[in-house]
Amino acid sequence: MSINPTESAQVKVITGNAAAAIGATLCRPDVVAAYPITPQTEIIEKLSEFHAQGILDAEMITVEGENSAMNAVTAASVAGGRVFTATSSWGLVFMYDAILAAAGTRAPVVMVNVNREPPGIMAVSSGQQDMICTRDSGWIFIVAEDSQEILDMVIMAYRLAEDHDIQLPVMVHYDGFYLSYMAERVEIPTDRDVDEYLSVLKGQPQRPRLIPGKSLGVVTHGILEGYVELRYKHCMALQRAKQKFDQINMDFNRRFGRAYDGQVETYRSDDADIVLVGSGSMCGTVKTVIDQKREEGIKAGLVRLRMYRPFPEERLIETLKGKKVVGVIDRSLCFGFKGGPMYTEIKSLSSELGGGRLLSFIDGLANTDITTAHIEKIIDACLSASNGASCNDVTWVCYEG
Amino acid sequence: MIIWIGVKERAPMSKSMNFESEGPWSNVERLLLCMDTGSWRTQRPVIDEEQCIYCGNCALYCPVQCMIDVNTYFAPNLDFCKGCGICARECTKKAITMESEEAFK
Amino acid sequence: MAKAKKLPKVFDYKKHEDPFAKGVAFCAGCPLELLLRFIPQVLGNDIVITGTPSCSAPVLLGQNIGSWHKLAYYGTLMTGAAANATGLVRYYNRAGIENTVVCFNGDGTAADIGFGNLSGAAERNEKFIYICYDNEGYMNTGIQKSSTTPYGAKTSTTPVGKETSGKSNRSKNLPLLMAMHKIPYCATATMSHMEDLAKKLLKAKELKNEGFCYLHVFCPCPTGWGVAADMSIELCRTAVKTNYFPLWEAYKGNFCLTNEVKKPKPLADYIKMTKKFAHFSEKDLDMLQRDVDYSYALLSHITGLGKECAL
Repeated sequence: MSINPTESAQVKVITGNAAAAIGATLCRPDVVAAYPITPQTEIIEKLSEFHAQGILDAEMITVEGENSAMNAVTAASVAGGRVFTATSSWGLVFMYDAILAAAGTRAPVVMVNVNREPPGIMAVSSGQQDMICTRDSGWIFIVAEDSQEILDMVIMAYRLAEDHDIQLPVMVHYDGFYLSYMAERVEIPTDRDVDEYLSVLKGQPQRPRLIPGKSLGVVTHGILEGYVELRYKHCMALQRAKQKFDQINMDFNRRFGRAYDGQVETYRSDDADIVLVGSGSMCGTVKTVIDQKREEGIKAGLVRLRMYRPFPEERLIETLKGKKVVGVIDRSLCFGFKGGPMYTEIKSLSSELGGGRLLSFIDGLANTDITTAHIEKIIDACLSASNGASCNDVTWVCYEG
Repeated sequence: MIIWIGVKERAPMSKSMNFESEGPWSNVERLLLCMDTGSWRTQRPVIDEEQCIYCGNCALYCPVQCMIDVNTYFAPNLDFCKGCGICARECTKKAITMESEEAFK
Repeated sequence: MAKAKKLPKVFDYKKHEDPFAKGVAFCAGCPLELLLRFIPQVLGNDIVITGTPSCSAPVLLGQNIGSWHKLAYYGTLMTGAAANATGLVRYYNRAGIENTVVCFNGDGTAADIGFGNLSGAAERNEKFIYICYDNEGYMNTGIQKSSTTPYGAKTSTTPVGKETSGKSNRSKNLPLLMAMHKIPYCATATMSHMEDLAKKLLKAKELKNEGFCYLHVFCPCPTGWGVAADMSIELCRTAVKTNYFPLWEAYKGNFCLTNEVKKPKPLADYIKMTKKFAHFSEKDLDMLQRDVDYSYALLSHITGLGKECAL
């Protein structure tokens, strides 16, 4: 038994969590280890259900904590297996040392992280702070906008992680509560198409594996230049991942007929004067308001970050250069800086952006909805800034801003 | 290939010897490390072959496992013996005495 | 000249070559070095051994591309050692790769920072051997107290001074705690009783095919405990003779003493051997004796019950 043994894609109305579980199952992982946490729990329940029904043929490890989940899958990956795990916020930071180990070991682990506010303030609500907490872990980060993209990005994550040129763990993020529990139309590819899409990896040289009785050992000490060499290789691989991701997206389109344009998505931004930058599910709302504003004659557009790490600086410079105003919407905070995290990162590209105004909008923390009214306000603020009016660099939209 | 890393000197590691992979993998077939632990000791075991009854205690309990079987008795491999004295302590016939390295300079 | 005789039976257990380089960075007289060399000699050189930052790390884990031994190894986090080993065995067994995974950790990892995942792996009955070498403290970082450090022991975090006099509370009985996970095999061993250790290693190798096997090896630290380098083995022997460290096994949950000491020596014999107890008063000795007696009383009660646990 399997997900879709038929000849054609199936259309179903499913939640984002179900999409993640289906995407992972289609890729035939060998070992799955996970611990439940709201809003991810449904993913592992679905995977357990698939396993019980014989749809998912994998070793299922019901670990006693997220830290063990990451350690178990990293080890299974090092032994040569394809692995999967999923978590959120509190679990994500609990496995932080193991996440660093996975990246440093260059184990091609694929993990789904359902965005939720991390510890600090008790919160069972959506926010991207957990992603921001772990952005320097050395992983590749992809952020999905809708359930279809979740499913598709999980498949692409394996293609990217296990590529011999890359060999890096990949985390697919999506908004908890907004995408995790909402059901929408999703096209589920056939088993055969996914198998063939991933079969490219079989023709590549094998990564090193830990095999009993053989001469290789892993997680050796990095001594002086040896340590630096490994870090250098890691950084170079992250840089290569940008173009590789674009290629993988194009190949995906060829096979599955769904076009994804790689590291960033542009929506009516080519001729826009005002460009908003964001990531995740709120971009759906942004696109709706952009269409509305365009009707009113305002040339607004969106650049959506699909790949967050490595930071797609070349594509951002390409798409934001020369714009009058760029408004970056962060669903998180950059502690110690005045603006949001993505704003702060884009600000570092200022000298290459051609002198336009850069504004930070903090919104959507802890399930405060990013509504069309919020986006209208943001675009209006950018508009007045583009007309020379004075405007705060940083606006907390979700806090009387 | 064995590279000796003495206490004071480090074997030169050229760029190509650091790693052959993207990640932190070692390969013992490329490089087996070994330390010059024989230079650590301040005393060495001296075996009285006549007293030795070949009970094997010294070979069993030597942490370095450097006791060489000479058929009727055991002799320490002085390249690696750290001079801990366990062999002398565990010898059933007190056939091993620990003598200062000074005597052998 | 003595005629060539046959070596004692214990040598028959050392079937395989020692895969470690002869010169490795352990203190002179360290029982851990003896243990680490012994394990592959008994179990074979195709074991996959995992190790964490610890006294064994400078030897188990390589330096850049070089390795100090010929075994396949995995440098794990202390916080996830048993979880790492879990991932290895789950994949190996699924892929049909024959394996003996030995998760090799000190008491710091086993009893403290890595206890959660050790307990988890034991509960899930993962098919590998977990060996804890108990030197009763965090030795590699400079002799700090762990939860297996005995009552009253002097360590760098439980020092002896005007206000404090060594560790103020008793240690936990980790091997008995692990046996309470109802695993196929749980045993204690030490370096003075090598034949007993060898048998237990082989039983663990066999029973790990049924589930989790735990070996707790009493492995003193001459450097940290203030003992002369040549006294390591004698110290182990005395620990057994005084019932400070009884040798037992729980074979499929059935407890038995593998070396019953009918007339245990007074604990004072053991205490006087190390500097870490040099400050002991009569009251301290009495406290520790009571702790040892309690543990042994519990143990004697459950040995000989003849009941196997439901696996």
